[in-house]
Amino acid sequence: MLRFLMWMLLSCCAILPAVAKEQLTVDLVNEPASLDPHRQWNPDSYYVYRNLFDNLLSRDDDGQIVGEIATQWHYASPTQVDFTLRRDVKFHDGQPLTADDVAFSLKRIIDPAFASPQRGQFDSIIEAQALAPDVLRVTTASPYPALLAQLVKLSIVPRHVLEAVGDQAFNLAPIGSGPYRFARWQRGVAVLLTRNSEYWGREGAFASALFRPVPDAATRLADVQSGSADLVVSLDSDQAAQLEHAAQAKLLSVATERVSYVSFNTFRPPFNDQRVRRAAALAIDRQALDQALLGGREQIVNQLLTPAHVGFSADLADLPYDPAQAKAILASVGELAQLPVELATTPVFDQRIVQALQQMLTEVGFNVRISVVDMASFLQRMNGDASQTANFAFVRYSCACQDADGVLYPLLYSQNRTQYKDPAIDALLLQARSLLDAQQRQPLYRAVNLRLNEQVAVVPLFQSVSLYGAAKALQWQPTANESLFLNRMAWRP
Amino acid sequence: MSRLQTLLPRLIQALITLLGVVTLVFFLQRLAGDPVLLMLPETATAQEISALRHSLGFDRPLWLQYLSFLASAVHLDLGDSLVQQVSVLSIIASRLPYTLALAAAALFIAIGLGIPMGAVLAMSSKRWLRGALEVLLAIVQSVPTFWSGMLLMLIFALTLGWLPASGSGTWQHLLLPALALGLFNLASFARITQRALSEELARDYVRSAVARGVGPMRLLLRHLSRNAALPLLAVAGLEVASLLAGAVVVEGLFAWPGLGQLSLQAILSRDFPLIQAIVLLGAFCTIGLNLLTDVLYGVLDPRIKHAQVSR
Repeated sequence: MLRFLMWMLLSCCAILPAVAKEQLTVDLVNEPASLDPHRQWNPDSYYVYRNLFDNLLSRDDDGQIVGEIATQWHYASPTQVDFTLRRDVKFHDGQPLTADDVAFSLKRIIDPAFASPQRGQFDSIIEAQALAPDVLRVTTASPYPALLAQLVKLSIVPRHVLEAVGDQAFNLAPIGSGPYRFARWQRGVAVLLTRNSEYWGREGAFASALFRPVPDAATRLADVQSGSADLVVSLDSDQAAQLEHAAQAKLLSVATERVSYVSFNTFRPPFNDQRVRRAAALAIDRQALDQALLGGREQIVNQLLTPAHVGFSADLADLPYDPAQAKAILASVGELAQLPVELATTPVFDQRIVQALQQMLTEVGFNVRISVVDMASFLQRMNGDASQTANFAFVRYSCACQDADGVLYPLLYSQNRTQYKDPAIDALLLQARSLLDAQQRQPLYRAVNLRLNEQVAVVPLFQSVSLYGAAKALQWQPTANESLFLNRMAWRP
Repeated sequence: MSRLQTLLPRLIQALITLLGVVTLVFFLQRLAGDPVLLMLPETATAQEISALRHSLGFDRPLWLQYLSFLASAVHLDLGDSLVQQVSVLSIIASRLPYTLALAAAALFIAIGLGIPMGAVLAMSSKRWLRGALEVLLAIVQSVPTFWSGMLLMLIFALTLGWLPASGSGTWQHLLLPALALGLFNLASFARITQRALSEELARDYVRSAVARGVGPMRLLLRHLSRNAALPLLAVAGLEVASLLAGAVVVEGLFAWPGLGQLSLQAILSRDFPLIQAIVLLGAFCTIGLNLLTDVLYGVLDPRIKHAQVSR
């Protein structure tokens, strides 16, 4: 009897790892705010819901736009695009996905009454109509070159379900057509998804996936090191260094499309003077910041775009580091240089960088005071009246669309987000917006970037890197658009 | 009837305090602005920002927002979370059991270890033992929970692999956060026990009991414990509030899905209805615990009950 019990115990121990591998456990920072893809826009939500829903278009692992529900598309006119859709896609309740569902999804987002946070990404669209069950026409107000890049973010919801149950009930038990089905959401604890074995595309390698909120990065690191999580997100460079020699876990990293930069308030002294802005730019040693604080992982950039963006200019000169010249400029501007300057930031951004920036600028003669506020207050200040906004700020930005229009237009056109206004840049951005051909747009964006560097409107610093911790056996290549597609992951055979 | 007469003014006082707390929180959280910019992507234009602000009602005058909140609150409708878009009461109901379990386990550890340690400090004749306990108490009281929590995680989850570093669902998940929280509060119980017992030991009835040949255990359990319980009870009421405050840090560290973690998320995302509901619940519990402590005082010491009634 004792021998039998021992055998049972050993058998259980032997099969435990194999059973555990059937489920992938992912540690997010917070739980999803919503699983209705049109209701919320933050990474912890879309990490999960992008596995529940199919998108009209997607990006492959190389970042190229490819069809997902759409198989092909063509411009019927400069403002109309016709998409041909797959006919073999079914929602998790067995109903077919048609062009009518796609049109419904788009109209739902652009409806002002629905107040979708994603509306700004689709507001160039004025109409979406199903020409046939498998043909969709999307009409924009004017030619819009970033349309396809924005449509990559369009998740398709089932019209019949939403009309039957309403928004609230759908949010609690979402039904999509993606490679995973919604199984359970225990508030604050975890979201469980199970594999959709009738999926039309690549089937997921895991029978189920559990997404848990783990707010503390050190705990996420401990989880992946101890094997209680298979994948963890949002690590910093110090934590990444710990994973390099870990026994059970490994580091995965990818250069994202997110750029960190210093933004000047050009409406207030002293940074209303281009010479003072140049002095500040010359005082920043980006190489040292990257090597000393970021483990040399970030890519130094000379523009607000990255190689992942359409419109990136590969031939721009690097921004120089010359503290001696910075001191000379400050000496020549007189009293302006003595004015105290406020550097605004928020704890979400790397505070080590902020403190190092303060140090570097102080060394050449600036009188810098750091002002740290929570994210909501920070955004409020940055969007507020220029006379009340800090002198400069350390920020990061991503349009999640990998297109220059998505970055430069919202940031710069008529002083939208940066405290800088330049009619020459406005004209270039408007012209680039009206052209559909990427090759024709390229020189215009190059001209914008050259002008920005010449005027020192901003100081681009780094292309941010996303750092993930993963179980040694997990095969996955993270991508620039910061998505976790479960059906692109697998266990090493 | 007499008990009711005593309690009625206290209940009215409690309601006024509740209203004051909620009013203060309502206006304080709005001083720094609204959550609209947090809810929108970075690409949002000024028009989209004002459209969302309008649809959420944050462009209405503050007094109007306050009155509509009060009107809903008296019907026990505390609204939907701005972020999760489900009823705040259902969110709190799903998180509350976790915090209660954590607080109970931590309290059990704090009381279960703190009171015997206090008794040893007060009654033991071994100087080395008292010295060692004093040092131990000084350490657990001065180490902040975020640090002791990390240390516990490093030892028991990463090095030994005995317990999970985070999560919930089993007693193993509860152990590390309860230890981190309980150890920090243990010292208060030990010190109060030590002081209360020392005071009682100096009284005449103890000396006569010892003279009658009553042994130390019997003395402690039969004679001292009831008299020393009064200050302990007062401390326990305060310590529960302190445990709930400490839970914010511990729950965040161990990803324990309780109200502490929820509060922090709600504050960072400026989820006004959720913050209001959590504060209302916190105030309700604190005021309720104080009332309960007062009542228990009367049960333990009839002199207090009589004093309350005659007043």
